[in-house]
Amino acid sequence: MIRRLFIGFSMLLAASSFAQRAVVEREGSGKISINLAGYRTGSDTASRNFLSVLKSDLIRSGYFTVTSSTASINVVGQVRAGSQMKADVQVYNVATRARLLGKSYDGPSTASSALAHRVADEIVYAVTGKPGMASAKIAVVGTRSGRKELYICDMDGKNMRQITNDRSIVVGPRWTPDGKNLVYTSYKRGYPNVFITSSGKPLASYGGLNASGAISPDGKSMAVILSKDGNPELYVKNLRTGSLKRLSRTQRGNEASPCWSPDGNHIVYVSDASGRPHVYIISANGGTPKRISSSGTENVAPDWGKNGYITWSSRIGGKYRVVVANPLNRTMRTLETDWADYEDPHWAPDGRHIICARTSNHQSAIYLLDTLKDSPVALISGSGDWYSPAVSP
Amino acid sequence: MNKIFFKMFLFVAVAGSLVFLGGCRSNKADADLYGSDNLYGDPLLGDMPLNDIGGLPADGDRSLFPAVYFAYDSSQVNPEEAKKCEDVANYLNKGKGQGVIVEGHTDERGSREYNLALGERRALAVRDYLISLGVNPAIIQTKSYGEEMPDNMGHDESAWRQNRRVVFAIY
Repeated sequence: MIRRLFIGFSMLLAASSFAQRAVVEREGSGKISINLAGYRTGSDTASRNFLSVLKSDLIRSGYFTVTSSTASINVVGQVRAGSQMKADVQVYNVATRARLLGKSYDGPSTASSALAHRVADEIVYAVTGKPGMASAKIAVVGTRSGRKELYICDMDGKNMRQITNDRSIVVGPRWTPDGKNLVYTSYKRGYPNVFITSSGKPLASYGGLNASGAISPDGKSMAVILSKDGNPELYVKNLRTGSLKRLSRTQRGNEASPCWSPDGNHIVYVSDASGRPHVYIISANGGTPKRISSSGTENVAPDWGKNGYITWSSRIGGKYRVVVANPLNRTMRTLETDWADYEDPHWAPDGRHIICARTSNHQSAIYLLDTLKDSPVALISGSGDWYSPAVSP
Repeated sequence: MNKIFFKMFLFVAVAGSLVFLGGCRSNKADADLYGSDNLYGDPLLGDMPLNDIGGLPADGDRSLFPAVYFAYDSSQVNPEEAKKCEDVANYLNKGKGQGVIVEGHTDERGSREYNLALGERRALAVRDYLISLGVNPAIIQTKSYGEEMPDNMGHDESAWRQNRRVVFAIY
């Protein structure tokens, strides 16, 4: 019943996210109560951490309220930890007594958080039919070392580790489609070149600017901004043959921030050929670009989600705000945010949340925005600035 | 205005080709053409390819020439800043220094990736101007730092004004 309700619910969400906000939008409504009080853990640190991370993940997913009283969904089972950890998880619909999930998960006890993220995503999917985001990773640029280096952390902002030690400047990380590597711009060789974390050799090191490298969904090509021909333009580089195809010809304009459509047939990017930066879509084979942003004095940093929607940062009334648009019917809406600047939005793999950099008082932190109803949540803050987040696929 | 722009474009295109074809260094800009204030306002970002940087210096002496400043979100070399470029062109055309890295910077406003492109366009505008003054394109590299290397760490208009700049690193 609840399961069926939620499938209907999901379709409703998809249909309504750009029209009127549906019933789920009302404060306190639309959340599924879930009870984990019957879930047994040992008293060891790993087991307790597992349960606490699982609860936080379920709350952060946006679909649940965790309660210890009567709930719609019951989670029972137990977690045991030695050097290995084993979590038995059963999820029941209380009203119908239907078992929605019954599985065992294991992993090293040193990775109890990772195990909890995995279980959280499985519970989200079992109950709502929608993908979770708890197992995703965030790549981000941080300044805490005194330089601008790449870091990776879990979706809850924890487990932060430094990835680059270039001791120069890194800009604009993006994940490869397999989620295993990052492509980014670094000055470690003196000039801005595009690198991939799996290799010491640059993916693009032409004269002038090499920036904003983005690997296509099939992994075969890279969209990239180069100025080697005398002006910053959008190119697609065949990663196998090394051949380049130039897509834009704007001698009086800049191009920036390409991102592939989920099917790899189109690229969304920024161009100021019209005089102000706007968001355009172009076929990956070239052709005439189509502008999709209209309002706002600046429209920058687009990200095309697997859900088909494009998010970008739009300067409205002097503040950067996050816009979500459907490129098919060109409807869009601006997310409700406070007076701070919200930049570099990126879709989380759940297709519901957006990660972005929030800047207030000249300090940047990473925030999680909900496109449906929940308030923004700070994920990474303090110890310098954090910006240019990218979420693993 | 468009006509002037086109004339200047032709001039640069022709001058550029001459430099490429003949390897000649014309030290003298057309006085008439450059006498007009309007002209500096329109950078001529042509298809003047850049060298691959392999083996080329990545750093130089930034203390020799003052920075060129720009208006917000603009890559036009303003008339009052053009003299600074001309001094650099004279220096290089006299055979002093092997070459120059033209470093483009922006203020902190706007997206970082857009600012990388904007900084590059500022550097290219200055590069094109140097080429029009007879400097051999092969000895001018561009490098955009976008908003990553501000000169003034402040967050107000006076800081931003100092950060929207092109710096000459002579090697």
